[in-house]
Amino acid sequence: MTLLSVEDLTLSINGSPILNGISFDLQAGNVLGVIGESGSGKSMTAYSVMHLLPGGSELNGSIRLKGHDLTRLDEAALCGVRGAQIGMVFQEPMTALNPVRTIGDQVAETVEVHGRGTRREALQVARRTLDRVGLPADRFPLDRYPHELSGGQRQRVVIAMAIALQPAVLIADEPTTALDVTTQAQILDLLRGLVDADGMGLLMISHDLGVVAGMADRLAIMRRGDIVEAGPADEIFEAPAHAYTRALIEASGHHPPRGPDRTREVPLLEVRDVVRTYRTPRPTFLAPPGHFRAVDGVSFSVRRGENVGLVGESGCGKSTLTRAILGLDPIQGGEIRVAGNVVDADRRMARADRRRMQVVFQDPYGSFNPRHRVERLVAEPFHLLDEPLSAGERRRRVGAALDRVGLSAADADRYIHEFSGGQRQRIAIARALIIEPDLILLDEAVSALDVSIRAQILDLLADLSRRLNLSYLFISHDLSVVRAVTDRVLIMRAGRIVEEGATETVFRNPQHAYTRQLIASSPDIDSALAQRKIS
Amino acid sequence: MSEADLPRAPSRFVALLGTRSFVVGVLLSAVFLVGGLISLVWTPYDVTVLAIADRLRPPSPSHWFGTDQFGRDVLSMVMVGARTSIAVGLIAVGIGVALGVPLGLAAAALRGGFLDDVIMRTNDLIFAFPSLVIAILITAVFGPGAVNAIIAIGIFNIPVFARLARGAALSLWTRDFLLAARVAGKGPARISVEHILPNIANLLIVQATIQFSLGILAEAALSYVGLGAQPPVPSWGRMLAESQTLIGLAPHVALFPGFAIVLTVLGLNLTGDGLRDALDPKLRRGRT
Repeated sequence: MTLLSVEDLTLSINGSPILNGISFDLQAGNVLGVIGESGSGKSMTAYSVMHLLPGGSELNGSIRLKGHDLTRLDEAALCGVRGAQIGMVFQEPMTALNPVRTIGDQVAETVEVHGRGTRREALQVARRTLDRVGLPADRFPLDRYPHELSGGQRQRVVIAMAIALQPAVLIADEPTTALDVTTQAQILDLLRGLVDADGMGLLMISHDLGVVAGMADRLAIMRRGDIVEAGPADEIFEAPAHAYTRALIEASGHHPPRGPDRTREVPLLEVRDVVRTYRTPRPTFLAPPGHFRAVDGVSFSVRRGENVGLVGESGCGKSTLTRAILGLDPIQGGEIRVAGNVVDADRRMARADRRRMQVVFQDPYGSFNPRHRVERLVAEPFHLLDEPLSAGERRRRVGAALDRVGLSAADADRYIHEFSGGQRQRIAIARALIIEPDLILLDEAVSALDVSIRAQILDLLADLSRRLNLSYLFISHDLSVVRAVTDRVLIMRAGRIVEEGATETVFRNPQHAYTRQLIASSPDIDSALAQRKIS
Repeated sequence: MSEADLPRAPSRFVALLGTRSFVVGVLLSAVFLVGGLISLVWTPYDVTVLAIADRLRPPSPSHWFGTDQFGRDVLSMVMVGARTSIAVGLIAVGIGVALGVPLGLAAAALRGGFLDDVIMRTNDLIFAFPSLVIAILITAVFGPGAVNAIIAIGIFNIPVFARLARGAALSLWTRDFLLAARVAGKGPARISVEHILPNIANLLIVQATIQFSLGILAEAALSYVGLGAQPPVPSWGRMLAESQTLIGLAPHVALFPGFAIVLTVLGLNLTGDGLRDALDPKLRRGRT
């Protein structure tokens, strides 16, 4: 049965076209994966169906839900549809919940708003729904607050809110992008199970084909407001017709070419028994404050020219460790050495030692001062030089660094908001390269990027590593990314390193149970397709 | 649509002119600023000369705002009074910004440290006292006068700016670009000036316009109780105080300085609102 039928949908906002006539059908019990990169209009498609559009929008075409045209309804009638017949799951579970209300309240609200029962009945529905999404009553009573839950648990609450009234259609807009890979796998399983049990139609929006490969029945590939290819998922993966689809599939599991191993047996970074503790609040007024060991006796080393991956979920201490290695935070035990010299969070650390390390952060939007021009941003590490450069020399070197990362020297005069996410990440790499460090720490440096941009940045990193004999410490929660660019990988969990070894060896023959779990949940088109064939 | 194709936010200046409250606010404030500036070189009548024969005249072509109980021209007095009010407001805000912002930035840079505690708890202490009462205390101890009023009002601006600067700076300190600056070996003082100050300037400017109008009100209040500018320097607050017994007889004497206070404060607040809307890139994009 066709639940949702969208025909020739066009949308423009303030005159600029966003969607150029897209059509698709969603069947009961089916998962339709809408795949596209940022700006492809995939989220706007979802918002159009919900009629949650910004001011200045002009929507044309027809959106039929079980035969009723939603475009003809007024706002009051639409409110009756939203939540009751179409549920929505958002990307960011941290902001989709109201922090000052209990989870029971928030799930019950959906029921009450639609007048489907008294408060008592609503709370009963909330309880049943939370049980269904895997938050059982004994561990997750209704009076829990969102901040008491992890990201994955919060996303389960958001899903519970969306399915409380058993809507016909569920729209999930990048529901797992903000989550760790293992949590992601669990949430995807949950969604698939709910679709099968309730006969819902799920519109699953994602930028990564790997994420939907295991669960989508049909796919629609979007690009710049058009659906370029649509059809059954098996057929599209078997024989993608459109060049863009092929590029997306290639980018999802992209492996940049690696040069010959030029690793030298010279340790560049040595981390020995490093401990980093945080004070936690006093449990009671007079009790001594507690301690939390974020990094708990970690040892490893990175040799010159070697690319090492550090993989773990959020909260495992990998970012804390990064900051300690950079000499930004003090450590409470152990020792960190760079090229034989001790790294110290005090300002006593010699400039020559600081010059050996640079960093690229995850968020291409937060890594730059929005008020400075690119030249000043990229030139910032020159502060570490003993002699300031002349203005001409500075400009020449900024230009050279931009050139190296595939931008032009003329970009130096522009402001950061004029660049896209991928370009910003290139600028971040240019900034890291400019004082010719030996080691670059890449803290989730490609996690926030679209798959095709990610593939380009990985290629760039591999190329730079080869040409400049750089070492990388590649920090990520996503194993597949690390696999593509590293020689050796460290698996970190709860402040400790649980497994370490050559990347391919670890992937082929993981020893630790946690590593196996990470590998199993990592989104990968090939393995997902293999799974589908079996079942 | 790629990100580069997003409609560009209009420049700040264009955005400002498109903000109705900003334009109205600036025009209102400018009327009084210009009046005060003109009074430096020329006023319709000399405000130090008494003309008892012409006292309490209602508004007329020769005296647009009428005359007061000593026969002085009210328009001239409002013009000269604008000088006092604007000077008090400006200098009091200046004291607050000059001392409060560095303290707030230092507290944020050393967050969680001893100095942070000292600065912020001292702030709390100052905040805990009703400002006008303390201002009265200060002027009562050190003698009434415009200078002491300015200092008293200025002291209470310090914690306002310190707290604002610290709060805004704290959220910036968690941003990656400050980590990048630290990786580049820059110290907290340098980062505060180079990276944080430009990013919180919007907030500070807006707060300054609000404190400016509060300063004018505070000066009027102090003058009203006789602790602000002393005779013969005209002040809007004192003009109000001196005319209150005549309110039934000659309401214009009280009304015009009253209007002056209300309209200046309104103008400054509107300017602040407009600046806030226009300087915030998010609000700016949402409005166009």
